[in-house]
Amino acid sequence: MTAQLTEPAPSVRDLVGAASSAAGVLDEGAKREIRRAILTAVCVPGYQVPFGSREMPVARGWGSGGLQVTLGVIGPDDVLKIIDQGDDGGVNATNLRRIVSSVAGCETATDTRAATVIQTRHRIPEEDLGQRHVLIFQVPVAEPLRGVQKSVAECVRMHAEADYSAIWVSLYEDIVRNGFITTSTGYPVLVGGRYVMATSPVPRWDVPRLDQAAHLSLYGAGRERRIYAIPPHTKVEPLTFDDVPFEVEHVPGARCDYCGSDDSFLVDAPGGRYVCSDSDWCSRAVAGRVDAPAHRERAPLAWLPDRARRATATGYATAPAVPPTLPAGQNEQVPVSAEGWLLKVDRLGKVFGDGGAAAIAGTGPGHGTAVSPSTGAIVAAWDVSFDVAPGEALGLIGESGSGKSTVLNCLVGDERATAGSVRLAAIDGGESDLLALSPQQRRRLRIDTMSIVYQDPAAGLDLRVSAGGNIAERLTAAGWRSYHAIRRRAAELLDRVEVPLSRMDDPVATFSGGMRQRVQIAKALATGAPLLLLDEPTTGLDASVAAGVLDLLRGLLRERNVAAVVVSHDFAVIEALTDRSAVMQLGRVVESGLTDQLFHDPHHPYTQRLVAAARR
Amino acid sequence: MTPVLTVRNLHKAFTLHTIDGRRVVSLEGVDLDVATGEHVAIAGPNGAGKSSLLRCIHRTYLPDSGSIVLNRADGPVQLVGLPDRAMARLRGRDICYVSQFLEAPPRTGALEVVAEAARRRGLEPDEARTAAAASLRRLGIEEALWDVDCGVLSGGERQRINLAAGTVRPPRLLLLDEPVSALDPENRELALNLVKSLTSEGVAVLAVFHDLDAIRRLATRVLRLDGGEITAEGTADEVLGTAPERAGTGASS
Repeated sequence: MTAQLTEPAPSVRDLVGAASSAAGVLDEGAKREIRRAILTAVCVPGYQVPFGSREMPVARGWGSGGLQVTLGVIGPDDVLKIIDQGDDGGVNATNLRRIVSSVAGCETATDTRAATVIQTRHRIPEEDLGQRHVLIFQVPVAEPLRGVQKSVAECVRMHAEADYSAIWVSLYEDIVRNGFITTSTGYPVLVGGRYVMATSPVPRWDVPRLDQAAHLSLYGAGRERRIYAIPPHTKVEPLTFDDVPFEVEHVPGARCDYCGSDDSFLVDAPGGRYVCSDSDWCSRAVAGRVDAPAHRERAPLAWLPDRARRATATGYATAPAVPPTLPAGQNEQVPVSAEGWLLKVDRLGKVFGDGGAAAIAGTGPGHGTAVSPSTGAIVAAWDVSFDVAPGEALGLIGESGSGKSTVLNCLVGDERATAGSVRLAAIDGGESDLLALSPQQRRRLRIDTMSIVYQDPAAGLDLRVSAGGNIAERLTAAGWRSYHAIRRRAAELLDRVEVPLSRMDDPVATFSGGMRQRVQIAKALATGAPLLLLDEPTTGLDASVAAGVLDLLRGLLRERNVAAVVVSHDFAVIEALTDRSAVMQLGRVVESGLTDQLFHDPHHPYTQRLVAAARR
Repeated sequence: MTPVLTVRNLHKAFTLHTIDGRRVVSLEGVDLDVATGEHVAIAGPNGAGKSSLLRCIHRTYLPDSGSIVLNRADGPVQLVGLPDRAMARLRGRDICYVSQFLEAPPRTGALEVVAEAARRRGLEPDEARTAAAASLRRLGIEEALWDVDCGVLSGGERQRINLAAGTVRPPRLLLLDEPVSALDPENRELALNLVKSLTSEGVAVLAVFHDLDAIRRLATRVLRLDGGEITAEGTADEVLGTAPERAGTGASS
């Protein structure tokens, strides 16, 4: 102790000196972990691999992710080039180059042709890149879905299920608002036909260079702790609608003030001038040491903006070019089982709490309670069976807490059923129990097989998105990729549900309750799903608005060959919409029959009370 | 004559749980047959079970026991115990029920109500509208009223719309419950002539009229229903007694 105390504390200079004379900024274990992450990233192109991002001698956001990747792959035989916005001479590039070359003991270069490892911020060099190059991007935001989804877990799920409709909606909304896509940097791309990836923030100008590139691209995000990659010769497609072309940045007539180039990426310079962003390229071009014709071949001139090809944003908002006709009609072939049903629910049960099937004893109408005397669990629904055929609507009626919405939630997958089975003739000819499918498979069914209309429009819509965009969400999820077809379809649907087309591009948050419900109905109809679930569709609306929505639904059910399940506590709604009904009390079906028979000749005491209450 | 409807030993009682489970008996073993082209009229006092009988056949009421067989082109169908979906499909197609009061969805016009009935008979939307228009004209409903909410029309207009919907295409079995009770003499004639012509086209009609004159003009056979039982059967004169100039009970016009 005494000896240690008497020794002078090491100065910061000593510590830095010791570190720089040691193996490097990263120890071998850390490098190995980074290389493992890189290998995974190369094997699964575009997939963001988590890694244990270390503290670096640069601040997060100053290239710490790129630096770790570079340190992980570089060796003494490599030649290092580091650029910042295309410029080798920036302060940050210079500092990073000094750190890496000192710890890796490698040469550095500004000439892209001489380099093997190129770390970059925001650019791909103009020079031809080949097999000998590894391009390492510093990534500020790795998650391409961040802008549309704040939840990290939800983003992970969306990637896992290739559920990218939200990002398509953001592109749709961008075109609607601006007439073309304004996302300038970090444009989302689909890598290898599977994962949507953020292109670090390179300009759109550079995006076509990524497709089938001969070099390896590695992306390091220090703050988000993610590494991802594009291996050589991988298909990379910018997300664009089939009929709205991808565009690169372009100022007509602009040329570099130094080298005169009009086919390299130019940036503003003082005095209204333009200069090449890539300083290495520009200086060599001035000296005549570049292959200009080959560079012109590489330049994304095929994607220069062309106003004639741009979408007209408001085309359908004012007057649909095609008169509204709804293709999903009664002529469509809807699969049915041998017994004629589309949906068959068999002995469905849902218990909230402990005990499962063991909690059933002592509950139900006979006992006057839904609370299990043995376990305290709530038996929300038990032994519920029914089937529905195309062109038929079945009502589930009962007072609040009778379990009718629980049944619907179990059907659609919002709740996990405790017991029973649910079959759809459209799935394996009705052989498979939907309850046994994975959550992912069940979510898929909601795209074009079963649609639900919730009591609260906010549950079925994104209120920040326009009415058309909400419909586009369902259509893009179903694979629609034509902007104009999506607009036309959305206009048809909104016209059918009597939402003025002048409101098509307004956020749903600005709509009244009745209008929101109409948009939700339009969205539910968008893909022509053969099964429609309606959960108290008019309950939250005031009387005259509710009547309008009810009339709309009645018309829709009549003109379409859908099977519908309607949940309501209101006999008037059930009477207007359904042919057959089941009455629920305390989680059980107490009586079922033709709707008018239940109303005129109710048998169960509960139904008689319900009918008496409904007579006004 | 081919039997269209065969009812045997039909029973119906109501248990009123809201009044301490009181039991009200409506039908006590009714037997009847209706053949093609036959118009069977049911006579009887108020509360005899006439409407209940029609409603049990249509399953607006659920019969307790007995047999109701409908003979269709492809064979007989037992309606008691028939699954609801199958029953729903027979309704409006093979069996049309014209109740005393129009039960149309709220905020719908006459043309829509009748066209919907025609669509249930399998007509395409355009054909259905044409058929509906013809049916409404036949019963003298002015064209200006076709798109007016049925709820605001007069009782007589609503009754004729109801009959127009039930007869937009001749059904196999037509159940009529006091279909002319609210009509003025002129429109009553239109309606009665329509029913008569349907019968002659081969429709089997089972009807409840208080109007004895209508029964005498239309019925090929008359049943007296009293206390839920058939107490007499025969021609109008046999069951109702020979007609004086004007028959007594309940004649409304």
